[in-house]
This record gives sequence, C-alpha cells and structure tokens, in this order.
Amino acid sequence: MEKLLKELQHANLESQTRRHFLQSCGFGLGALGLGSLLGSCGNSNAETDTAAKLASSKIPQFAPKAKRVIYIHMAGAPSQLELFDYKPELLKYHGKDCPAEFLEGKKFAFIQGVPKMLGPQGKFNQYGNSGAWISDYMPHLQSVADEITFIKSMHTDQFNHAPAQLLMHTGSARLGRPSLGAWSVYGLGSENQNLPGFIVLASGGQQPDAGKSVYGSGFLPSVYQGVQCRTGGDPVLYVSDPTGMNRSMRKQTIDAINDINRKTYEDVQDPEILTRISQYEMAFRMQMSVPEVMDVSKEPQFILDMYGVKPGEGTFAMNCLLARKLVENDVRFVQLFDWGWDAHGTSSTSNVEGGLREKCQESDRPVAALLQDLKMRGLLEETLVIWGGEFGRTPMQENRNGLVMPYMGRDHHLEAFTMWMAGGGVKKGYSHGETDELGYYGVKDKVHVHDLQATILHLMGFDHEKFTYPFQGRNFRLTDTMGKVVSQVIA
Amino acid sequence: MTLTVIVASDFTNFIGRFHPVLVHAPIGFLLIAALLEAGRRMGKISVSESTVTFILFWSAVSATFACFAGYMLSLGGGYDEKLLSDHMWQGIGVAAFAWIAWLLKSEFFQNSKTLLAKFYFPAFCLATILTMTAGHDGGSLTHGEGYLTQYTPEPFRSLAGMDPIKKEISGIQPIADIQQALVYQDIVQPILEMKCVQCHNEKKQKGDLRVDQFVSLQKGGKEGPVFIPGKGAESSMITRCLLPEDDDDHMPPKGKPQLSTDQITLISWWIDQGAPVDKKVSDIKVTEQIKTALAGLGSSGGASKSELPKSAESAIAKLTVSEPSEKDIEALRKAGLLVNRLSQDQNLIEVSAVNAANFGDAQISLLLPLAEQITWLKLGKTKITDAGLKEVSKLKNLTRLHLEHTAVGDAGLANLKSLKYLEYLNLVDTKVSDRGLKNVADNKSVKSVYVWGSAVSDSAIAVVTSKYPGLVITNGLNKELMARFAQKNDTLTSK
Repeated sequence: MEKLLKELQHANLESQTRRHFLQSCGFGLGALGLGSLLGSCGNSNAETDTAAKLASSKIPQFAPKAKRVIYIHMAGAPSQLELFDYKPELLKYHGKDCPAEFLEGKKFAFIQGVPKMLGPQGKFNQYGNSGAWISDYMPHLQSVADEITFIKSMHTDQFNHAPAQLLMHTGSARLGRPSLGAWSVYGLGSENQNLPGFIVLASGGQQPDAGKSVYGSGFLPSVYQGVQCRTGGDPVLYVSDPTGMNRSMRKQTIDAINDINRKTYEDVQDPEILTRISQYEMAFRMQMSVPEVMDVSKEPQFILDMYGVKPGEGTFAMNCLLARKLVENDVRFVQLFDWGWDAHGTSSTSNVEGGLREKCQESDRPVAALLQDLKMRGLLEETLVIWGGEFGRTPMQENRNGLVMPYMGRDHHLEAFTMWMAGGGVKKGYSHGETDELGYYGVKDKVHVHDLQATILHLMGFDHEKFTYPFQGRNFRLTDTMGKVVSQVIA
Repeated sequence: MTLTVIVASDFTNFIGRFHPVLVHAPIGFLLIAALLEAGRRMGKISVSESTVTFILFWSAVSATFACFAGYMLSLGGGYDEKLLSDHMWQGIGVAAFAWIAWLLKSEFFQNSKTLLAKFYFPAFCLATILTMTAGHDGGSLTHGEGYLTQYTPEPFRSLAGMDPIKKEISGIQPIADIQQALVYQDIVQPILEMKCVQCHNEKKQKGDLRVDQFVSLQKGGKEGPVFIPGKGAESSMITRCLLPEDDDDHMPPKGKPQLSTDQITLISWWIDQGAPVDKKVSDIKVTEQIKTALAGLGSSGGASKSELPKSAESAIAKLTVSEPSEKDIEALRKAGLLVNRLSQDQNLIEVSAVNAANFGDAQISLLLPLAEQITWLKLGKTKITDAGLKEVSKLKNLTRLHLEHTAVGDAGLANLKSLKYLEYLNLVDTKVSDRGLKNVADNKSVKSVYVWGSAVSDSAIAVVTSKYPGLVITNGLNKELMARFAQKNDTLTSK
C-alpha cells in the first residue's frame, strides 16, 4: 500500500510540468489584473473528447456499398497456379528449364540458377454461369463461383512474408502504419457497442509472420486496433470476473478507475487515455457479449455441418462460422488469418501436391459455406469478403540451394497472383485481369496491392486520396501516394 | 529555317529535356538585373555597378546553356516550324545581347570612353524585351497557342476582340440522343480533344501526329497509321493506351489525364466498325459492353464528370433531401439508436437499432421527424411488429429495410407498398408467408428480398420470380441442400 501511494505521488510530481506552473500562474495572477499579459497561459478550455466520440464515424465521401468486411488472409501465400489461374501451356513446359528472360535481373527468395518449370497440379474446369476457372483443389468453392470476382493480375513489391503481409494490410512494407481494419473502423465507426469494431481470428497453428502489426492501429489512436479473440476456451483472456468478485463490484471498480483516468485526461489531454477508458468499458460489456457471440453451441446442427465445425475446436472452419456470427452482430471488420500455405516443396506438408490439397480441404468448405450462409441471411450484399495471400507462387519449381526438392513446390512470386472478392458491391461472377500463358506476369489490367486497397476503401465509401490522418506533420493515407480504384470490379 | 548540325539521339533528348528548367535562370536573372538597373538609374536604391555586371554575366552564361539545351530539344521534332524558328532566334538574341551588354558594361569599355559604351543600355533593353517574347513563344510551343489568354474574362475579352469562351473546353458535353449521335464527331473526337489534342495539334505535333482533324488522324504519325480500320485491338492508338502507365510508349504520357476504360472501349469500337466518319450510332453494331459505355455519355451520366461508375443503388444517388435536424438525430441517439450520415454530398442517413434490442412500436414515432432523410433502416432483432410497420411506411425515401428476426408478418408488409424507392428487404426468420411476399413483389422498386427461415414457400418464390424477372428472392439452402453441400467430394468429414 505504501508503495502504491509513493508511486501515485511520484506520478503526480511527474505530471507537474512547467506548463502546469504557468497555467496556475494564469489563474493566480489573473486575479491581480495581470491576466491579460499571460492570457494564453490560462486558457486551456480544450474540448473534452469522450470515448464515444472515438468510436463514432467520419462521413464517407460516397454511400458505402460494403458496410462490413471479412478479410480471409491465407498466410504463406496460396499457389494461384494450382487453384484459379489455369495455364495449360505451363503443363507443356513441365520439367523443362525456365526461359532465361524470366530470370534475368530477377531475385527470388530461394530459387537459384536455372530452375525447371512446374506444370499445374490441379485439374481445372469452368464453373457457374460465369465460367470461372477453379481446380479440383476447391470443390466447394465451385458451387458459389457466380458470387465471386476473381482478380488474376495482382502484383506486389515484396517477396518475403512479413513485409508482403505488411504491405497488403497496411499499405507499407515497413512497420508503423495502421491496418486496413483500423482505417475502416476509424472511418466508418463501430456499430455494436458491446463488441470491438475490428476482431481478429487466427488458425493454422501460428500467427502471421508479420505479427500483430498486420492488424495494428499504427499512428491512429489504439482504440482502432484489431482485437484478437481465441477460438478455443475463453475467447478473450482475463475478461471474466476473478473469483470472489461479482459483476456489480467489477462495475464499481471500473467506474472508479475511469473517473481517475478521465481526470488525468483533462490534465494531460493524451488521446491514449480515452482509448484506455473505452477499453475498460468495452471489456466490461464484452464479459456478457463475447461469450454469447462466440458460443456456437446454439447454432443448429445443419449449420455446423455445412461449415464442418465441431464445437470446441479452434479450426479455420470455426473461425469462418464465428466471422458470420460477428458480422451478423454488426462487427465492422473481421480479419481471419490461416497459417500454413507456404508450399515450397520442402516437406510432406509444405508442397503444392499433398500439403496444399490438405490446406484446401480444411478451408474450402468453410469458405464456401460462409458465402452461402451470408447470402441466405441477406448479409452478403452488405459484406465484402476478401480472400488471398500476400503474394503468389512461381511457375517454376523451387530448387532451394540448387538442389532437387523432395516434393513439388513453388517459390514466392511477386509478379502475379490471384485474389478474390465477393459481396459488398463487387461484381458477381466476374474475372478481372490476365497473366501470360505461363502465369509469370500480369499482361492485362494489372492490379497492384495499393489499387486493391483503393478499391476496398472505395467500396466502403471512401476516396482513398481524401481519407487521411494527420501524423508528424503530414496527412497519411492507406495507399500512401499510389493506388487507383479498379472500377471494373465494382458492380 | 532550321539548323541541322547534330542528329537527335538519346543524349540530345536527355539534355534537351532540361531546357524548360534552364530557361528560367536567364529570365529571372535578366529581370532582376533590369529591375536593379532601373532602380539605380532612378536613384531609388544604391547598387554598385559590379552587382549589375555580375548578374548580367550569369544571365549571359545561363542563356547560352538554355540555347544549347533548347536546340537539342527541338531535334526531337513535333513543333510548329515557324513558331519554333521565331523562338530559337529570339532565344539566341537574348544570349547574344546579354553577352554584349555585359561586355560593354565591363570596366574595359566603360573606361575606354569609346562611343561603344553608350550602346550598353540599348543592348540591355533589347535582351530584356527578347526574354519576354522568346518566353511567350516558348509557352505557346509547350501549352499551345492562346493558352495564356484562353480564360480572359469579360469585358477585356470583347475589348481585345476575342471570341467568347468556348463552352466544350471543359469536357465532353452530354449527348441528348445517343442513337442519333455521329460516332466520330460526337463521341470519338470529343475524347481526343480532351485527352490527346494538347500535344497532337496543328502547332505541336508530337511524333508527327495530329489528331485534331480526321484527315490527319487517318494519316498517322512518324511510325505510320495509328489505327487499322476494323482492328481496334491492333491499332497503336489503342494498344498504347493499354500499356502500363510506366511504359515509355504509354499514351497519354504518365502524369497527364488518362483515358477512362469506357473511353478506350468506345474508340476501339469505332475502329472495329471500320472507323467511319459519317455513321450514326444506330447505323453500326452495338454490343452490351458498348451500351454501358454509351450510357455514360447520356445527359444523365456524364462520363467526363466521374471516371467511376455510378452506384448501383441509383435511387440513393438521385435522392436530394434537406439537412436533418441535429435535435431529431439526438433524440434517436438517446433512444439507443445508431445514426450515421450516408455520405458527405447527401443528407441521407442510416439508422440502426443494433444496440437497442428493446426498440419497438412505442418508440417508432421518433423516426418520423426524419422521414425524409432515413434511407437505410435496420430493425433486425427488435420488438417491432406489424403495427410499427405502419409508421415505417411513412419513411418515404427508404431504400434498405432490415426486419430479420422480428415478429412482423404479412399484415405489416402490406403497408410497405407505398415505399417507392425500397430496394432491399430482409425478412429472414419472420412470420411472413406467401401472401406477404406477393405484396412485396408488387412494389416495382424492390430488387432483393431475403426470406430464409420465414413461412414463404419455394413454390411461391418460383411463381413470383417468373412474374418479376428483375427481382431476386433468396431463400438459402434448405436442410437437404445443405447436407448435400456438406457431402460434395468431401474428405474433411472422413478424416
């Protein structure tokens, strides 16, 4: 107790700055008629912000088409050549040396010397009225082909996982920028007051390589950062009441803490204090709301079967079902990460034959079920679903250290990859962009990561060039100084 | 006349591109020297002679460099010969007279007391005047003649004897009747005027190409014809537009206003159809894609105004309503409702009861003061009933209505007929039955209805859908379909 008091005294002394001294001077001397001389010192009538204001929305430039987003990131980068980008010509080159023009002046993460070309491993066919090319790796996705817009000409600047993931989610390969989800909640606000506006769910045994920064708030107030929920056990740790404390006592404690915090905020005006206040309040409300929304036991059996979910398992399928439940409860941005798509050919799980097939088997049905489920609930029209990795995979077979690999695998590729979007104002059953006949370069309607981000913001009602946040003397935006809206994919 | 001493190469192009940078040095130097000289002569300031001489020296040096760079730039070609020649000789004049003025000002001539020293002032004046005329011609070469005074306002305009400002300068005019429009004159030429003519006109012919009239467009440029009638996709004026913006051959050059996809599509279509000069839209083949592109040119679209397509919810885009009152919004917020403005340029608002599960018929009248502005209303999972829907029907600009997981039924839906902009209706998990669905379907504006988990039958959906092809009714998968979906080629369950 004594230690606590000392700490309090120390903190109080620390916050007594020269500014405070002058401030009190302003009042004291003002009474003596000298106030006018020191006018600027005493006038600290800065508007007191409230936590609610932090969660409120900016007004979009145009009426949003996507009110909510579910972003499914397949960490490690799935192979577009096995799944969506059908290249029969590549099959003819299977096992032949890679043409020199693909290697000149290029750098790869692992490929050295002259690799062999690797033909597509999937069996492709066209599905739906739109004739979308989907391989037998994803039999369930075929059933929802007509809901999807594929972008086959994606390209990026980074060939390592962490920087590429950062670029994809924050618009910059370096740390420190807010993520797409943070920008979305900053822009459109949070709807359900009992749940965070930006929730993250991860599966596949590991977190994304770039860590928490891919769903961080960067220089935006930290109230906008993604809140990660656990899929098994307590969804949020330490949110339940400790033994011996009931809910009303908990409420009183939090109220008392927030009163003190509010006073401190009035003194020092640090917006992070508002974040802390709102997080205390949110945590209290989440005690009730989170267990409820994360509990799938009340879902009917046929829904569980559709996703392939077994209650209590923290699988990707579970995360898809949870994503639907969160979106149904008006959570603005749900980010799913699934780890294990990095098919280099180094092991029995990391290759484009068996390993990739297994990842597809785990995820194909839940993703297709998610689209079906959102659609029948009338949510897909207002919810943008995005699927993709951080880059693509080479048409060449990886030859790490110049050796023949034990399994068929592909290296990281930044020139071309496929992503898809559905719902939320994008075209139904549409394919945008094309790659060359070997799937190496985009040759028609290339879409850079920044272009995709500009398009996503546009769908949410924001002009990516005007949607900015002032930081360190300049206005920052998600797309930095680049990006062009891909108007062709918008319905 | 033109001098041809050096041949154009990458190196001359490189140096030449610095001409627009370098020219500003002698302009600035000479003007400041003139200002100082004038001030000195009028006795306003005291500046030493050597200051003026020093500035004159650097004016002459920089003007000489600018001349060299300018000559190299001219080798690239594509400029009006006469204007270029004028500009060149005036530029050389600036450099020459600057050198002369500097020489005569130097101590040698000033001390020698020869008559020559008297010519210092005229030479200086000449250099200054030539700077201005050369500068003006240079501007005309770069931006096109008349650029400077294009927007001269009245009454100066008529005083100077200029024509009134041409209206179409700012962009493509909407076309009243697309079918009767001339494909070249009314569609293709205005696009070229807006995006290409600045560099390919009578005075400035980059790549020896002029696109301001059909005859010269047909002739093509340095590399031959720019279009092959009947083959839009192979014509260089199309392929160049489709190159990545960073490509050196991409047109218009990086940084200039680009053609929109629709504009490229339209020009390509015109070429595909044989590039006719006198045909109307109705005379040639119009595909679906062209129809959409053409639609943008109509009087309501205005392809030039926005490069992005109009929102699919056209009803929202057209609605203009008055500013909502803050007091009324505050009343809704007090009742626990979420209120957001839809967009900056409109006063429409969205209201959601996501945080107000107890919201019901008793509070519904709170919405009425904002009857005009509310266009999205989410009352899912609330206590609203059929009685409350009577009030909802007074929200005349409603486009999206969420009633999922509520107790509403057929009787309430009958009220919604009067909503003439309603597009989206969510009736998932309600008591609505076939009768209610038919009522909803009669409302012509409705585009999508969701009825999963309600009492609506598949057969009724089939009947209504065949009657109204534009209406999409989604009932989702029934248990049987879901089970089949789960089984399909699946190995997950067997694992």
